[in-house]
Amino acid sequence: MTAVPLRKRVRVKTLLLVLLCGWLFAAHLGVLLQYGLDGQSASVGDALLARNAETASANAVTSVVVSYRGFDTLGEVTVLFLAATGIGLFFGGHGRAESHRPEPPMSPPNEMMVTGVRLLFPVLILLGVYVVLHGHLSPGGGFQGGVIIATAFFLRMLADPAFRLRHARIGLLESLSGSGFVLMGLLGLSLAGTATFLGNFLPHPVTEMGRLLSAGVIPIIYALVGVKVGAEVAAIFGDMLERRGQQSPGLLGDESDT
Amino acid sequence: MLAFLDDPKVLHGIYALGALTLFFIGLYGLLAKRHLLKMLISIAVMELSVYLLFIGLATSPGETAPILSDGLTAFTDMADPVPQALTLTAIVIGLAVLGLGVSLAIQYHRLTGKVDVASMTELKEL
Amino acid sequence: MTLPLTPVWFVALPLLLAFASPLWVRLRLLMPLLVGTPAALLLLAFVLLPEVRTAPLLETIVIAPPLGIHLQLDSASWILVALISFAGLLTNAFIWLADGEPYLRDRRAFVFLLLLIAGCNGMVLTGDLFNLYVFLEIAGVSAYALSALRRDASALEAGLKYLIIGSVAAVFFLFSVVLVYLQTGQLNLAAIAVGFGEIPGPMQILIGLLMLVGLGIKAELFPFNFWVPDIYQGSHPAVAGLYSGLLVKVFLFVLFHLVFLLLADPKVVGIWLMGLGAATMLIAEVVALRQEDLRRMLAYSSLGQIGLITLALGFGVEATTAGGLFHMVNHTLVKLLLFLTAAVLLRSFVSAQLADLAGAGRARPLAAALFVLGALAVMGLPPLSGFASKLWILKGFAEAGVFWPVALILLAALIEAGYYFRWIKVLYDPSVQLQAVHPVGRLAYAPMAVAAGLIILLGVAPFLVDALFSEGAQALLDRGATLTAVLGAGS
Repeated sequence: MTAVPLRKRVRVKTLLLVLLCGWLFAAHLGVLLQYGLDGQSASVGDALLARNAETASANAVTSVVVSYRGFDTLGEVTVLFLAATGIGLFFGGHGRAESHRPEPPMSPPNEMMVTGVRLLFPVLILLGVYVVLHGHLSPGGGFQGGVIIATAFFLRMLADPAFRLRHARIGLLESLSGSGFVLMGLLGLSLAGTATFLGNFLPHPVTEMGRLLSAGVIPIIYALVGVKVGAEVAAIFGDMLERRGQQSPGLLGDESDT
Repeated sequence: MLAFLDDPKVLHGIYALGALTLFFIGLYGLLAKRHLLKMLISIAVMELSVYLLFIGLATSPGETAPILSDGLTAFTDMADPVPQALTLTAIVIGLAVLGLGVSLAIQYHRLTGKVDVASMTELKEL
Repeated sequence: MTLPLTPVWFVALPLLLAFASPLWVRLRLLMPLLVGTPAALLLLAFVLLPEVRTAPLLETIVIAPPLGIHLQLDSASWILVALISFAGLLTNAFIWLADGEPYLRDRRAFVFLLLLIAGCNGMVLTGDLFNLYVFLEIAGVSAYALSALRRDASALEAGLKYLIIGSVAAVFFLFSVVLVYLQTGQLNLAAIAVGFGEIPGPMQILIGLLMLVGLGIKAELFPFNFWVPDIYQGSHPAVAGLYSGLLVKVFLFVLFHLVFLLLADPKVVGIWLMGLGAATMLIAEVVALRQEDLRRMLAYSSLGQIGLITLALGFGVEATTAGGLFHMVNHTLVKLLLFLTAAVLLRSFVSAQLADLAGAGRARPLAAALFVLGALAVMGLPPLSGFASKLWILKGFAEAGVFWPVALILLAALIEAGYYFRWIKVLYDPSVQLQAVHPVGRLAYAPMAVAAGLIILLGVAPFLVDALFSEGAQALLDRGATLTAVLGAGS
């Protein structure tokens, strides 16, 4: 009796939503196709690109991210720090006693996988460090390299039951690199040569462009970002994994079976 | 044969079409689905479509990456670096918010066994 | 090597202290710094005040304004920055002195509270559109985490709802930022303002609507505010006081800052915003009549006042704008007082339901008295501060010869009186003997007493701050002066 009207109601709602979204889509597309395709004639980006040589960084995106718009990057690192702190809060402390269902038994680790991951671990770390340190020369930088480093730890945590993340040490790294970023900014503010927050106070001659030691504070700040991102993403992975009692897959599977 | 793709208008039109399609798929998912993770995924899809639109429309055909390498010696004929830098920033922010949202959802599910926004009952109008 | 006192400290100091938080745990400095940081920022604001009153302070970060990010401290943003620091100081002092829930006193809460202050300061100060988005997310993420801090079902539900709705708002705002950059090629607000008029009309409308949805959700305007009471009810009342007193004010300020700066003729959208404000005010006040939970009632009352401020600012005349800014400050003081009272009552009697609080006035006389004072100030009775600011707004409307907002504001005040007296009557119900379950320390009343004292002082002597708000309104409305200050005389 009741099944038919219920299904009918659901379908009407879906249809209305599709119509609404379709109408909005058509309106946006109309405006964008008519007015949005020409692109701007002269943008901030072009002006920054034209004077990018003054930063002595071969990668213009890096000089925008770390120097010209370094304040945004500081904010972005802060958001990541907030999220890592929040995730630590929700997964830490409570313990598993409040979990309303028993944890499934852990399967024994696979020897092949453990050995393979242990071999892969130093290679991934090395790649991550390379990507971080060459951020001002080639595609890459602190965010990308930091995530690669975190991935190395993530693989270890997944595969290797003997591996434990030291949360205290990671927290220390996190706070040191974060404070370091702000302190670099304040150094730029306090030194007479730059006198702006995040100013590039180290010598950065243009002739050095393309070398590893160039571009003044940019590689230093990017390395700090790399350490911070690596530590935070690794801590997020660690929090999510450890409180599941080493049950590796299925953070999603846990939710979708209900 | 594909030379017409070199016209910035055509290429940007295709990017705009694709990105907006993705955006409204995300919006539909957000409005139609009540599962917490599906809603979070819908938001992520909407965010990603905005990044795609930004990067797609800010780069014209023929421009190279704004990096001096492979024999390039001057910053000319390069893509605008600002949209790329902004997108990098926005991606990290999006990741952080998504991570926080998923962990909240998991914790809520563990505590109450519910995954549905519609079945949230602790706080509502009397 | 010198360490100049510049606006960047309003963001950099809380960031630095939050990043270094493990150190403060070890040194047992967590609570002193939680209170000390906003106090130091308030001090800095007052040190900078004489300079700000002569000319707006512009601080370049790395590269000069049209290309890079800059912070701008003018008379309008000074009011907000001082308000943020003061509200943070009162709430943090309450958290320290009330010696209450441990989850509000650990390292994580410290980080979230300080970064909420940093995010709000950044939003108010920044002169760059994308930087605004970044600070919006900092304040947003701190707020989501703060509302879920208690980690029980209702707190997690509040946090989840807040996170989902807040992320949607952020996506819409980001979309509008992207369209602005694709159209004008600028990110600096002043440079955008110069180029905004050349964007084709339909595109302007699309950008404006996307921005309105994004900021309207965050600033709790009708019809985007259906989620607000849930969040306020699920969060700790002290945190809810921060949302109502601080976060919403900042978003309202940002919304009107953008309207007055970007549009050559703000009147075009002003009338629509006034309509939204009026709808927000009336609907919220009517719904507040039948609330049975103290926190929900306060949330709806807060929405009503938000609507009133929107109505005043949307009119775009100096008198109403100055009155609106003054009312922002008053409402922050009042709502902090009321929410902190709610925190005391909730702690004493474990419930915030109307039925469970009957007779609470004799078990907690001081808290109930402060509640009555706050309620009278919200309604706008003399000699409290709400009267002074509402009078200013009403006078502004009357001088301009527009009378429908006057009628609506008076009607809203009448409805407010209805539901606040209902609560006061129940609090002083003589037929019930109520015993407090948990003790509350005497020191917890100190921040509330400060807020109450200021409410009375500003009500008795509004002429002390008149000039400040008039200057703030001029700075907010004078588009040409801002453009000249940022871009140089040529523009």
